[in-house]
Amino acid sequence: MRSVAAALWIACVAAWPAAAQSLPEEPISIAGGHVIVGAEITATIAPDDPGFFNYTSYEFSALRNLRMGVSAELRANDHVQLLTEVRLDQGRVLEAYGLFVRVRPWPARRFDIQLGRIPPTFGAMTRTVYGSSNMLIGQPLAYQYLLSLRSDALPATNDDLLRMRGRGWLSNFPVGNTAAAPGLPIVNTSRWDTGVQAHGITGKFEWTGSVSAGSLSDPRFRDNNSRRHYAGRVVARPTPALAFGTSASRGAWLNRNIDDAIAGINSGDRSRQIAYGGDVEYSAGPVLIRGEAIRSTWTLPPIATLRLTEPLVATSVLVEGRYKIAPGLYVAARGDCVDFSRITGAQGPSTWEARTWRVESGVGYSVTRNIQVKGSWQRNDRNGGRIRRDSIFSGQVLYWF
Amino acid sequence: MRALALIAALAATSEALVEAQPGAGIRGRLDIRRLIKPVERRPDVAAAGAPGVRDTTEYRRGVVYLETAPRAAFDEREPGRATMDQRNERFVPHLLAVMVGTFVDFPNSDLTYHNVFSLSRAKRFDLGRYAAGKSKGVRMDRPGVVRVFCDIHSHMNAFVLVFNHPFFDITDDDGRFELPSLPSGSYTLVGWYEGEARITRPVVVPPGGWAEIDLVVP
Repeated sequence: MRSVAAALWIACVAAWPAAAQSLPEEPISIAGGHVIVGAEITATIAPDDPGFFNYTSYEFSALRNLRMGVSAELRANDHVQLLTEVRLDQGRVLEAYGLFVRVRPWPARRFDIQLGRIPPTFGAMTRTVYGSSNMLIGQPLAYQYLLSLRSDALPATNDDLLRMRGRGWLSNFPVGNTAAAPGLPIVNTSRWDTGVQAHGITGKFEWTGSVSAGSLSDPRFRDNNSRRHYAGRVVARPTPALAFGTSASRGAWLNRNIDDAIAGINSGDRSRQIAYGGDVEYSAGPVLIRGEAIRSTWTLPPIATLRLTEPLVATSVLVEGRYKIAPGLYVAARGDCVDFSRITGAQGPSTWEARTWRVESGVGYSVTRNIQVKGSWQRNDRNGGRIRRDSIFSGQVLYWF
Repeated sequence: MRALALIAALAATSEALVEAQPGAGIRGRLDIRRLIKPVERRPDVAAAGAPGVRDTTEYRRGVVYLETAPRAAFDEREPGRATMDQRNERFVPHLLAVMVGTFVDFPNSDLTYHNVFSLSRAKRFDLGRYAAGKSKGVRMDRPGVVRVFCDIHSHMNAFVLVFNHPFFDITDDDGRFELPSLPSGSYTLVGWYEGEARITRPVVVPPGGWAEIDLVVP
């Protein structure tokens, strides 16, 4: 797999100067502008990630991927559009990432309703899954790093949970689905939720609200617990240089199979994920700085042996910045950490997940406007798990139109 | 290769050393049969809402210039100043033609940030992000085609054609152009539209008179 990825990456780099002459530079417009097609192709290469710090819920590393994404917009008229995005990851994972109808009741007003598999409402960093929107190569921990929690399995005791610290890439618990599988991130942007979303812009305020099937950590194409996920976000832009955002989310995060496993208890009433986030962005001249903090709680259903008096808490803080040092050339860095609340096991109190830090710095160079090469170095540390730290160099070639 | 040829044309001079004739030159019309529309926005599937309505009127204007200019055209001149505004997520005008040394201002007349940049060989620059009411600019110091973009709005693009002689004209909306004050002689006229030199025609300017020519781009 590594040699195939390396060959592809090298082939891309070698071929692009010549190929760039004939590749599309702009979205393709079909049927008199009624159909617009764009694409983004990203080849990312890195050595092994033995600590699984960069694994996603699709069980591959975000730093070792060949992604081809095609997005299309079908404009029926000024009021109705159909939007879709299809992605092929690793050359094998094909998914209609987004597929929804957008309705604009009054064409001149910035108010839209979207129905279907909709983009995430919560958070400022949801677009980092797009190479062209990510100043680095790795993704923020809150949006990618897998915690041990799973929507289809539960620990029976506090020690079951503590045993899985730092093993979110493949965790297992004795209640529910006992097979090992990836855990959940705080905010899952690897897949999108299904529901309805409203969005509007009024003066210096932009707001979004949604009702959907899954939860923040586990967006769903099909509902798995008959509970709704409510999310909202407001962004204020007092000046173009400055944006303040706040997000909130509340949803049931456990699968209904847990109901069957815990006889007599309706888990949906107790298994809530509630999250709040605050973010800020400042930009001027060659500088762009962003920061975001997220606090998420997961309530677990009452299992007699699981002695949790409070919900499980995860808190994430990140700061990232970019500086353009020359036309087409920039440097960027991100500092990121996730901390967790403490529970008591047989060995005494401990955070229920392993506290994790990530520092990443890198450089990006635009060969042409829509062909970019990035390189980055990433350092990960956590206070649990089999492998507690690693350093990874990665490279990425990106083409979009 | 085509771009290199165009840059050479923008910079070229003929060996003719003759006096310019006021009231003489080349005029006519550049008739573009297939007009090009502005670049569409990329489908932003990750956005919670649609962007604002924007003007998508077709680009009607081109540039007509001499492939080689009389040497007298290269006499030193005062550097000029030109403006390319940013309005409603468009560069206005979409097309500028200027002489080498011209300082081009890029004011931001929108309420959002813009970030003008170019990675063209003729001029590589990045003006960074700046807000409404602010303006930044750049001196065009080499002949060639400068493709201008916004780093924030990928559908925004424009052209600045930089010449080191004055024998060029941007056509009006009907395609009409005029290259005045040309010495009599034989020239090659080029019609340029949306990134390409699309037509080339020989033309003879008579002593003391105008040469009339229509260039049709199918």
